[in-house]
Amino acid sequence: MSNEDTTRRRFLSAAGSAAAAAALAGCSGNGGDDATTEGDADTTASTGTDTATGTEAAETTELPEPETREGYLQRANLVAHEQAPWIFLNRQYSVYGKSNAIEWEARRDERIDAYDIAPAGDGGEDVLITQGQLDSGLDPHDHRETTTDNVVLQAYEGVLARDAEGSVIPMLATEYERVEDGVVEFVVRDDVTFHNGDPLTPEDVAFSINRIVQSDVGGLESPQSDQLSGVTGAEVADSEARTVRVESENLNPIVFALFASYCDIMQQSWVEEHENAYINQHMNGTGPFVLSNYEQGVSVEFERNEEYWQEPAAISTLTFEGASEASTRVNTLLSGESDIIVNVPPQDVSRVDSNESTSVAAVPSTRIIYNGLRTDVEPFDSVEFRRAMNYAVNLDSIVENVLQTFGAPTGQPTLEGFTGYNSDVDPYPHDPDRAEQLVEESGYGGAELTLHTPVGRYLKDVEIARAVASQIDELPNVSASVEQREFASLTDELLTGSIEDKPHWFLIGWGNATFDASQTLIPLMTSEGVLTTFQSERFDSLVENAQGLPGDN
Amino acid sequence: MAYGRFLLKRGLQGVLVVWGVVTVVFGLRFITPGNPVNAVAPLDASPELRQRIAEELGLNRPVYVQYADYIWELLHGDMGYSYISSIDASTIVLSKLPATLELAVASTVVAIVLSIPLGVVSATRRHEPADYAATSFSLVGISTPNFWLGIMLVLLLSVELNLFPTSGRAFGFYRSFELLFAEGVGAFWAAITGWLWHIALPAVTLGTYFTALVTRLTRSGMLDELGKQYVRATRAKGLPETLVRYRHALKNTLIPVVTVLGLQMGTLIGGAVITEAVFSWPGLGTTLINAINARDWPIIQGTLIVIGVGFVLVNVLVDALYAYLDPQVVE
Amino acid sequence: MADSTGPLDRLFGAVDRVRGALTVSPRTVRNLKSEYRTSALSKVGVALILVVVFMAVFAPFIAPQNPTTQNLDNGRLPPLGFTQTEQQTQTQMVNGSIQTVNTTETVNATLAHPLGTNSLGQDMLARVIYGARTSLLVGLLGTSLAALLGVSVGLTAGYYRGRVDDTLMRFADVSLAFPSLVLAIALIGVWGRASVSVPDPFVVAGVVDPVRSALGLPTPMPDTFVLPGTVIVVVGLVNWVWFARVARGEALSIREEEFVKAARALGADDARVVLRHVLPNATTPILVLATIQVASIILLESSLSFLGFSGTTLSWGFDIAQGRAYLASAWWIATVPGLAIVLTVVGINLVGDWLRDALDPGIEGEGGM
Repeated sequence: MSNEDTTRRRFLSAAGSAAAAAALAGCSGNGGDDATTEGDADTTASTGTDTATGTEAAETTELPEPETREGYLQRANLVAHEQAPWIFLNRQYSVYGKSNAIEWEARRDERIDAYDIAPAGDGGEDVLITQGQLDSGLDPHDHRETTTDNVVLQAYEGVLARDAEGSVIPMLATEYERVEDGVVEFVVRDDVTFHNGDPLTPEDVAFSINRIVQSDVGGLESPQSDQLSGVTGAEVADSEARTVRVESENLNPIVFALFASYCDIMQQSWVEEHENAYINQHMNGTGPFVLSNYEQGVSVEFERNEEYWQEPAAISTLTFEGASEASTRVNTLLSGESDIIVNVPPQDVSRVDSNESTSVAAVPSTRIIYNGLRTDVEPFDSVEFRRAMNYAVNLDSIVENVLQTFGAPTGQPTLEGFTGYNSDVDPYPHDPDRAEQLVEESGYGGAELTLHTPVGRYLKDVEIARAVASQIDELPNVSASVEQREFASLTDELLTGSIEDKPHWFLIGWGNATFDASQTLIPLMTSEGVLTTFQSERFDSLVENAQGLPGDN
Repeated sequence: MAYGRFLLKRGLQGVLVVWGVVTVVFGLRFITPGNPVNAVAPLDASPELRQRIAEELGLNRPVYVQYADYIWELLHGDMGYSYISSIDASTIVLSKLPATLELAVASTVVAIVLSIPLGVVSATRRHEPADYAATSFSLVGISTPNFWLGIMLVLLLSVELNLFPTSGRAFGFYRSFELLFAEGVGAFWAAITGWLWHIALPAVTLGTYFTALVTRLTRSGMLDELGKQYVRATRAKGLPETLVRYRHALKNTLIPVVTVLGLQMGTLIGGAVITEAVFSWPGLGTTLINAINARDWPIIQGTLIVIGVGFVLVNVLVDALYAYLDPQVVE
Repeated sequence: MADSTGPLDRLFGAVDRVRGALTVSPRTVRNLKSEYRTSALSKVGVALILVVVFMAVFAPFIAPQNPTTQNLDNGRLPPLGFTQTEQQTQTQMVNGSIQTVNTTETVNATLAHPLGTNSLGQDMLARVIYGARTSLLVGLLGTSLAALLGVSVGLTAGYYRGRVDDTLMRFADVSLAFPSLVLAIALIGVWGRASVSVPDPFVVAGVVDPVRSALGLPTPMPDTFVLPGTVIVVVGLVNWVWFARVARGEALSIREEEFVKAARALGADDARVVLRHVLPNATTPILVLATIQVASIILLESSLSFLGFSGTTLSWGFDIAQGRAYLASAWWIATVPGLAIVLTVVGINLVGDWLRDALDPGIEGEGGM
């Protein structure tokens, strides 16, 4: 339902590999709660309530220049808050429903690892997971969506992985080390077999890496090449010692973090022997579950891999099904058919939680919902007007009543907990009088606005848009309405068109699983960003400076 | 002999219409202004994918070459590969056909089983309470959007009373039979009852409109027939009333009913599309809607062709049946 | 008969021809009247349609409030006569963890919202009233488009017969091979969903606010009305074929009539014969078919809106789709607009039955979607 990752594919590629690499630097730190660093003064005109008549210079004149990457990113967030090229809305939460027949904890990165599921009591051996949508084919190197990840990662594994806290741990590699700048080596386990019974070889690992990063390997132009950004290729260094040598075009300090999140290992001969259509309907990985039946778009069924190189999974069968309608998913959970469902809508949370055999598991997600404003057109070319819009919106009421508390208000593009988050910046307060006054100052009183919103793409997208528009419409000197758009045509205008073709005011959501501000700021706010509607040299230079410095972690 | 010629003629007409169907589907890619790639590529398609699509479809070549190519590939069952999953479109579309067929058949069965007795009762007890009940039901039945009916059934029978599942198809009809051979009667029985439990609400949802329609047709047809000379004559000869009604009047009523049902196959399939959407029934309808939302052109094209061809096929069969029942049609 | 004296005469001639095409004979009127008197159902049908048309036309005057005004604090109020008891565990996210609070809350219906409110606190009655506009406008405009296309094709085919007829009718067959909903979805999928904002004449004329203030109703009403443009075009394009069939059948039989042969013998050109003689005689069945088609197109529109293929948020089908998510917590959001559709379509079908019984045009009904 709320998955814009197919479009992320292009955002990321267009954002450029340098940007992607830098953005991924924050990947290993899923904390980053130490949001303030030196260089960021406390005199931030954060809420703007006391900065009076929209002077834009508050940030530049009063604060010393930052010194660290994180400092620059935080400053960029402050500028973004003050310049308000968005109406800042909410952070989206991942809300799961789960049956009490199983034990399972939600992860923050939106992935579901069925190996972690354990039966509670007698039942729970057979687990059914209902997602909003199913896979887009089973080739682990030919997709970018979380929904497909969730399916294929039950059968495929990478050389490295992450534990529940997000730290890098070895998986199919026993050892990993940096041998020189831009060159790392993995030692591949020797006790692993693919589901077809063949042993895992270092050649398979090198092949899998090359299949992603090189366009002529494995019959595929992988959309994941930027997930391993900087990596140029891999080769077997020593068959006896089972070492694989991976080269990058530069220092690539975050290479292990990349491999901990991405790059599933496939068997070279199996890939080469089969056509793409076959690889998309069958699986031959090393993971804890073996594909037993596949009906495209209907169900994906797994059985426990009894030959797994670790302890076999606690559950014996695992099935994925798709139901795009949220209420349908809730009903399958309540009727006992389903064991885990994704995206429980707020109005059904208490139903799920008060049912004695089900419960809710919720975590803040990495997705921000916002309103983009075209800063090159009237009336949004006025910073006073843009800030007025932010004051006019009652975020707390939206979070409380529309999202029924499953969301958090935001006041900057970067989410709390991300590298670069500025903890001194608070969301705009609801202040319609000030909004009205700012509109008058902007000289755009009487403006008539239309908010373009996708339908059913994000949790409560239309409801949020309608609430925002009606709150702005309540200003006596502005009128606002909502135009619902097909998600595909809206993103078409946002992405393929030049800035002139973009809607003046639109609602969209952005997921950034790297836990680093750059992956939001670069594509969404810098002048060259694919999704930007904002042009600010100051902002650009802050981000550029940040990206020229090594990451804090 | 005449019947054979009729079948041949009707069959040829069918082929002609199928040709028209695929031509219309081919034409869809040209009805958007601008580059036809825009019409058939996913909106977030990368430049490489756009390039590949343009090459695959040969969009820079003259239209008649593209058209000939397209027909040639279709004749080989090649509808291209899904932009989303890279699986061949014919595999995907054909794998969804059983779910839609079983829904269509189940709802037709529901309709026939309910409507003909209702129509007969209604006609033979004209102006009695039973007639009023049946006519009111059929009036409301043809006036109710089936997606809303489905939602109301879910509200009452699933959400409030928890009697039926709200979505899904369990193992489906065909896989249940696979289980019979693979795992024995027990597994088969569980699978087939699970399937019936799942299909009940969708079948009633889709079948209601047809039940209502056929009830109306049967009622008016029966009233017509019962008022005719030959019925009075047979009655006068002393034949039992039941025999008069069912042997003669009903049989003559059913002939036009069959034709109308054939004509309404399109409505049935259209209704199936939206019924599938309400119940997440994994058939051609959900596939089409998902494909349109994802702009997965090869799947859109494949679904439309299968639906169109299926419709033509059913109509040819209905005509054949009709001509068999009523040889006057053959001339 | 002479029609080539001057441009003005020609114009009058054209007007006359159109009038001739639309004239209903006294006998027809008699039939309609007698059938109406004897059939209670036709009275019910006419009454239902009058109510819906009244709602649609005078929506800005009678809606209890602006159908798009939100009041988040008043969301999900039940309709009059119902109370909503929420004896549920309230679950809240606090700093990323779930906390549960047990609350019992009884929500009462209010007179201000007789049919309750939706999740955004919008008045359901106002939305039903404005939704009638969408349904009727799409129904009427879509049917007109379908009739225009279908009748032209059908008359041409039936009048010329032979190869023209074969070609056009095969084309119709192809059209029929796609269920109208499927074809509509496909066309909207390729074209996208365009909508047209039409100014509300009453609001623009400034007559709404004084009347509403006098009645004590909240005033600012929407000054434009969003018409789902693509939907209208598409429903017209997918439903023309029924009209073509009927018009063709009529043309085929009428062209053999003596007076048509006579007119042609007198040297009248084809267009004239068709418009002057064939079309008027085909009016009755086309009118009956159009009535039934309005019902069919209203159902089609609601299906498209339900699936999210419309361009407006003020539509019964759209509201049903929105209400679907609240079946367990607020059943009326999906129920009320559905009842509005059913009553409207029942009304139209009853009128269709009445027309058919009175005029006996000899066509089968295609009532539903």
